[in-house]
Amino acid sequence: MTRRVRLFTTCLADVVARRTADDAEHVLRALGHDVERVHGATCCGQPAFNSGFDEPARAVAAATLRALDDGTDDPIVLPSGSCTSMLRLHWRELFHGRPEAEGAARVARRVRELSAFLADDPAALRALGPRLDVRVGYHDSCHMLRELRLREEPRTVLAQVEGLELVPLASGERCCGFGGTFSGRYPEVSTAMADSKIADVDATGVDLLVSADPGCLLQLEGRMSRTGSPVRVRHVASLLREALA
Amino acid sequence: MSATTPREDAEVGGRPLPPGWAAPAHQPGADSLADTTFEERARENLARPFQRTAIANATDHTVFALQRRFAGTAHDALRDEARRIRAHAITNLPTYLEQWVDRAEARGTQVHFAADEAEARRIVAGLCAERGVGRVVKSKSMASEEVSLNSALEGAGIDVVETDLGEFVVQAMGDRPSHVIAPILHRTQGEVHELFSAMAGEDLPDDPEALTGFAREGLRHAFLTADAGISGGNFLIAETGEVAMVTNEGNGRLTTSLPRIHIALVGIEKMLPRRTDLAVLLPLLTGHGTGQQITTYVSVLGGPRGAGEPDGPEEMHVVLLDGGRSALLGGEFEEALHCIRCGACQNVCPVYRQVGGHAYGWVYGGPIGAVLTPLFRGQADGGELSHATTLCGACDDICPVRIPLHDLLLGLRRRRVAEDVAPLSERLAFRAWGLAWRHPATYRASTAVARAGLAVLARDGVVSRRVPGLARWTATRDLVLGRRR
Amino acid sequence: MAAVASTPRGHDPGLPDRAAAPDAPTELRAGESPLDRFQTEAEAVSTIVERVDAAGAASAVAAALEAAGAGAVAIAADLGDLLEPVREACRSAGLQVDDYADVAPERARAAALDATVTGCLAAVAATGSIVTTGATGRAAALIAPTHVCVVRADQVVDGLHALVDGDVLAAAGSMFALQSGPSRSADIEKTLILGVHGPGRVHVLLVV
Repeated sequence: MTRRVRLFTTCLADVVARRTADDAEHVLRALGHDVERVHGATCCGQPAFNSGFDEPARAVAAATLRALDDGTDDPIVLPSGSCTSMLRLHWRELFHGRPEAEGAARVARRVRELSAFLADDPAALRALGPRLDVRVGYHDSCHMLRELRLREEPRTVLAQVEGLELVPLASGERCCGFGGTFSGRYPEVSTAMADSKIADVDATGVDLLVSADPGCLLQLEGRMSRTGSPVRVRHVASLLREALA
Repeated sequence: MSATTPREDAEVGGRPLPPGWAAPAHQPGADSLADTTFEERARENLARPFQRTAIANATDHTVFALQRRFAGTAHDALRDEARRIRAHAITNLPTYLEQWVDRAEARGTQVHFAADEAEARRIVAGLCAERGVGRVVKSKSMASEEVSLNSALEGAGIDVVETDLGEFVVQAMGDRPSHVIAPILHRTQGEVHELFSAMAGEDLPDDPEALTGFAREGLRHAFLTADAGISGGNFLIAETGEVAMVTNEGNGRLTTSLPRIHIALVGIEKMLPRRTDLAVLLPLLTGHGTGQQITTYVSVLGGPRGAGEPDGPEEMHVVLLDGGRSALLGGEFEEALHCIRCGACQNVCPVYRQVGGHAYGWVYGGPIGAVLTPLFRGQADGGELSHATTLCGACDDICPVRIPLHDLLLGLRRRRVAEDVAPLSERLAFRAWGLAWRHPATYRASTAVARAGLAVLARDGVVSRRVPGLARWTATRDLVLGRRR
Repeated sequence: MAAVASTPRGHDPGLPDRAAAPDAPTELRAGESPLDRFQTEAEAVSTIVERVDAAGAASAVAAALEAAGAGAVAIAADLGDLLEPVREACRSAGLQVDDYADVAPERARAAALDATVTGCLAAVAATGSIVTTGATGRAAALIAPTHVCVVRADQVVDGLHALVDGDVLAAAGSMFALQSGPSRSADIEKTLILGVHGPGRVHVLLVV
């Protein structure tokens, strides 16, 4: 079923991962959805919220809320598990007892993480004939896995790609060390965490490391680029776009 | 241990403690954390690859054993019930404490209250002094680490011998335990071999069995010559006035059996309403702690030696330690008191895995350490620790009593901001960020500037050089903007 | 976090009823034989388990002590009816036998024991544990390198819940203790070592 979809590209994609937003839009359009990017949205407020700065978090999130709460029931799709989790679960807390609470609750009901949205209709995706001969390791982002409980959905999406072999990673569910501001606050610890993960990825012998969270990918790809890991890194959206090419 | 001649030597065949057993006076964690940062302390462990590998292997093993242990049982229902019991016990703690004290005293246990660390030290040292105690054997007790009991007793001229194998090594090395269950997780067999060989004055065989045998012999002697045994306690049982304790080596049993005085130092939050609650809490403590179905020994102690019993201490004292606990009752962080010290959150924590227990600076490491340290020691001293986690949520998922560690850590970060403990630079940065990104226009402008700046610095879509303002990030990582080849 | 806890925060959830055993690894599963489970669990933690009949119990104790190479042995009063027969059997086997109550006050003698023999208050099937008390002697099961414990089949309770929730512990005295196999440590690089402070050899004679 095709429908009108709002795409919230998120701030991280706006600054360093524009291709992720473009690829997500491409895939959604290929499925026949009527995609409209959300204009006027900035950031979900998570960096400040997770650092204990509720006031600036609320001010920023309120701008995004105004842009997202557009009077429709259209699903709001995000190519980021972490931002989805913020909107879906933590806005309730952030706006508790405030005038924005009702709008935040409306938005929370509409937001969907991209791979979870795609997993609603795997047959439609498969019908497009995605194909890529590649061995893939999937990195579960912490917020998708343990807050949104999205374990199967991204795997269901990857399973629609012909020729793709999903190889389990021993460290697949362990944090990559990004943690938002943590990665800058404790760079050596953060990097050591990434290295332990990358060592596992390299040893497993996959062609691609795939995830659905731009934050984790920024961290892992950034470190793998620096250390010269032979494994390439892709967002689920980018992998699908390649598979559809 | 000091060089004083052990008493009752004639009684035990005149064997003094092995030569070289004079351990350096050790100072467990009560010194200020403010001298060093988490980053500095973490760096020490990061520089030791063996240590990191050992921690990773050991914690993986324990988590695997835990999962296997509860397979096929209603694990989540058990955890829900445990949470309920702990929540009930803590919300009604004053009532249960009163009940526990009444029942314990009725059984002949002498009960003491210690409001803080200093009072705990004073009480225990006083008990020892009044009763002419020259040597103390200790079984593992995190509460005694909290109050730095050993250095206080040693200062009073008392021999203190840690009898848990790991704690014994820690004591002899002048080190600190690095894990709540496995104190020398950070030490190699080689280091233990070197230590014990130096103590023995000969090159001992380098295998765990022989090394354990060496420690056993000396420690057995200490057990037989000690005047008092000091233990911790895993649970207080209100219904019966008992103290329950789990160990594997048997040192806890001997500590509470052989010396004429037994002193248990127990945090007031270890309360369970009923004995029957052990059926829920014990399997969770042991299963989450080590993956064991039950530890080798579980002692439930209800007073000194009874009439007609062949052995046991003449006196049993319990020192109930507050040490910052009662201040948490009824507040935002009360659930931190639900902790049963199994260490599972440490085992799954991806940060702990890299930095080890010492990086947390005080007694408790891992997520629960990051919560308890600022709560017990104050924000100024331990507040930074709430940021020493990625909020990945693995600790929430494994906690046997379902403590919302993620929420508590976040709450502590908020408190740090509210109390103005957060550094000025951080406050200014978020203020500026909040001003810029609360308007779509300034947001668009700032992201456009950032993109343009990065584009200038990038080569083939990759920024591999130092980025002003992001130096800490880019020191070890590239910023990949395009598609890497 | 999305992991919804079953009780709201900051409220007294009340105390759950504990009429039934929880579904835990420390409880018997439906249809399991308590004695078989006891044996399986005890053996899993390196306890030697031997089933004997009442008539053969005393001589089995002596045989267990001989197998352990014991010379000096103390026996605990909680052996009850078996106390005299065990004493006799040990003496006939040439062992030096004393009552634990006599040995305990003299630490040097206690420390020189090769083995102790005790009864128990109960045994827990699901965990393979024996339960001793202050009446047994606090150190009676730990002081020597070998511990031989006589367990009557009717002393075996199903699981931890049956032990701590029932009347079994009414006779516990000043303390009770569960012990499951030989003393162990894995402190040195996670290598499992048996017989650290307590016995390295635990031999249970299950009288059926």
